Amino acid sequence: MKEVIAIIRMDKVNTLKHALVDAGFPAFTVRKVIGRGQGNVDARVIQGAVEGCPEAIARLKDDGPMLVPSRMMTFIATDETVSKLIDTIFKVCTTGQKSDGKIFVKPLVDVIRIRTGESGPAAVA
Amino acid sequence: MVQAVVRPEKVHKVMKSLLDAGFPAVTKMDVFGRGKQRGLKIGEIVYDELPKEMLFAVVADADKDLVVETIIKSARTGEKGTFGDGKIFISKVEESYTVSSATKD
Repeated sequence: MKEVIAIIRMDKVNTLKHALVDAGFPAFTVRKVIGRGQGNVDARVIQGAVEGCPEAIARLKDDGPMLVPSRMMTFIATDETVSKLIDTIFKVCTTGQKSDGKIFVKPLVDVIRIRTGESGPAAVA
Repeated sequence: MVQAVVRPEKVHKVMKSLLDAGFPAVTKMDVFGRGKQRGLKIGEIVYDELPKEMLFAVVADADKDLVVETIIKSARTGEKGTFGDGKIFISKVEESYTVSSATKD
């Protein structure tokens, strides 16, 4: 069993939700997060720095790449279904621009359904 | 994955320290929680859930110790630290994918 964490653009959440229902993954948890990756710098900040704006220059120099709001969606999947889940995410969320996001796959020690007390693969289904 | 729960007022310092140490990629979210101290009691008022920030970064195994040390140094209050400075958790990430190129890292 795996935990799949996808950090994606805010405007892709709804489309991804519907695509995942069709692909057989109706269940997820979503959180608003803010973060950055290797570092896209907003063109407007560069423009500001070129024009001599002190805030823009300070931002480029001190704070590093800007923080961007995104959504973190968490799924659980069995070992066999993980690649289908990831392919569906790519299909919806890949636009080719760097801020598309990331997917992390982590091992899950156990999954338990609170309503029934089931654990393991039965609780994933 | 290095997950750190830190004080909100320390987040900027922690992220800057991580950036300077070579780890720009960090995600953060607002959380609430408490530790073994069961919150804070100030006079008559009990704050049993405190606002914190959770930061997480996925790094190579070899970099883990440096990242943990960087976070501890920048998130601590004072020389020895106090209750409420937070915790760091390490967990395994088996695979990592980049969405923009639709490839596995």
